[in-house]
Amino acid sequence: MSVRDTLVLTNRSLTKWVRNPAAIMPALFMSVFWLALFGSSFNPTNLVSSSIGSQLPPNVVSQINSQIQAQMFGGASTYITYLVAGVIALVVVINLGFGGIDIVLDRQLGFLNTLLVAPVSRTSIFFSGVWQNFTKAMVLALATFIIGLILPDGLKLASGFGPLSFVEVFVAVALLTFGFCSAFTAVAFSVKSIDSLVGIVNFLVFPLVFASSAIFPSSSFPDWLKWIAEVNPVSKAAEAVRLLIIDGSLSSSELSTLEGDLVYLLAFAVILTLLGVYVGRRALAPK
Amino acid sequence: MASRPPGKIEQEQSDQIIEVRGLTKKYGQTTAVDGISFGVKQGEIFCLLGPNGAGKTTTIRMLTTLASITSGEAMVAGFDVSKNPASVRSSIGLVPQELTADDELTGRENLLFAARLYHLPDDQSRVRIGEMLSLIDLEGAAERKVKTYSGGMRRRLQLAMGLIHSPRILFLDEPTIGLDIQTRKKVHEYIRGLNREQGLTVFMTTHYLEEADELSQRIGIIDEGRIKALNSPSALKSEMGTQILVLQVSAAGEDLTEFLKSVPDVTEVTKRGPGLYEVGLSKVEDAIPVIVDGTVRRELRILDLSVVKPSLEQVFLQLTGHSLRDSEALSNVYGQKLQIERMK
Repeated sequence: MSVRDTLVLTNRSLTKWVRNPAAIMPALFMSVFWLALFGSSFNPTNLVSSSIGSQLPPNVVSQINSQIQAQMFGGASTYITYLVAGVIALVVVINLGFGGIDIVLDRQLGFLNTLLVAPVSRTSIFFSGVWQNFTKAMVLALATFIIGLILPDGLKLASGFGPLSFVEVFVAVALLTFGFCSAFTAVAFSVKSIDSLVGIVNFLVFPLVFASSAIFPSSSFPDWLKWIAEVNPVSKAAEAVRLLIIDGSLSSSELSTLEGDLVYLLAFAVILTLLGVYVGRRALAPK
Repeated sequence: MASRPPGKIEQEQSDQIIEVRGLTKKYGQTTAVDGISFGVKQGEIFCLLGPNGAGKTTTIRMLTTLASITSGEAMVAGFDVSKNPASVRSSIGLVPQELTADDELTGRENLLFAARLYHLPDDQSRVRIGEMLSLIDLEGAAERKVKTYSGGMRRRLQLAMGLIHSPRILFLDEPTIGLDIQTRKKVHEYIRGLNREQGLTVFMTTHYLEEADELSQRIGIIDEGRIKALNSPSALKSEMGTQILVLQVSAAGEDLTEFLKSVPDVTEVTKRGPGLYEVGLSKVEDAIPVIVDGTVRRELRILDLSVVKPSLEQVFLQLTGHSLRDSEALSNVYGQKLQIERMK
């Protein structure tokens, strides 16, 4: 494998992406819709005040609200603050999945063949697919974070959230992204048609996101779902991001949770990358 | 199935840049290529002619390391395709059937990308890209995005992309598919020029008879995965094709069918209309005087007498039992449809 070849190939895809800025709009709209519309309409921290709130003394309502926020949502001051990690995961996973369409098109339009007859290794070709989608997904993750900050009553960062916290948030997101990116890239190189890719992606994306604590805390899940959410790397990434944005300065037990999450995500990324290289190389071998 | 005597193969082996023996490709139960053998000489234009689905593209895919070989062997530029694919890849260029240049990039950027794929240093590529652009007459359009190009311009760019690293052998898979006649002629000129001026070996496939006839020094006729004949276009025609004599005499008078059949070297006589005959001849020179003489003696006036040269179409029909044009409109896969969309 040659890093230079990977860069040459990645550069081509990203140049095309940058020249067509409209292509990023649907993904950005998805972030806006999830945060602004879903985050505002489906606001579980408001359930009490908006239903039986009028029958209770105001101080009781605010006590219940802060209890719900503290117990279920890790102390997030707004639901969007809780939701932002989940929307980042959702947007990343969906875009990695459908980012594979470019790879399938490259195969269908014969472009892949021109790579395969060139003296370029299969591993380089595979990693160029990974890097191009990884870069796009990370740009979207960052954009989603910024959209959260811009929204009124949106993402409220903890007072202790510093540059290091920011780096740590994106390390967690990057590990999650890289793992899924390798997996989806391997799938994209393996399928022959866009239809099968869309089918597989649709089948995977929703379980990955909804069977996790990305959108809603898993404490209220039935046991079987709680167990799945527990091992789902999406939950781990969301947990890590929330610790950092909600709590800011971490206690030692929170710090060890964060470390645990990052190690888990690193292992996830490494395993899926190895698996992805294996499957991707096989898919690119002459048949 | 080369028609050369076996002793000659040994002698010519040294200048064979492609050697294929018993090459076979099976996809499950289907045999796409069925034990073909042939050689391509250094510096020649070799053409594999056959209908869609005959096994042309599969053969190119095996020779260019894109498809694995089920059995048999293939040596390309001195390297075994199965054992040493990396060395084969460095020695060849492929211009695929599809147009693979990127719409969003300019012509020059596409060439630069191709050069980088083949590890040309950027300063060297700049010179080479300049040469290629002038060769294919795209200098004026080099800084335009490819999405503004016509089908013919895209084809030419594709040709340049396959040549950027100065390969020893250029593989062309249906190089003029979907092009109009003028553009096709232009592409032919480039291919011929490259072959003549730079001594480039060209291995191409086509289902256009005229293309094979005009361009190639030798043609392999392939059908249902087998090579049915292999020779120069003229040799194929004279070996296989019977010549047709069209004879028009004054309509009133004796029927000539029986007389024509009695002439030596006449293989077939068909009456097409009153006084109009189509005569199949194995040797024109000897038969014509006898026919003219006999016709005049029967006091019939000759209104027209012409010889139709045998065509590759006839040769193909004779070898395969079906016309090449019948099978042209067959395949219509998704990818091809997309290609046509792109060329609009």
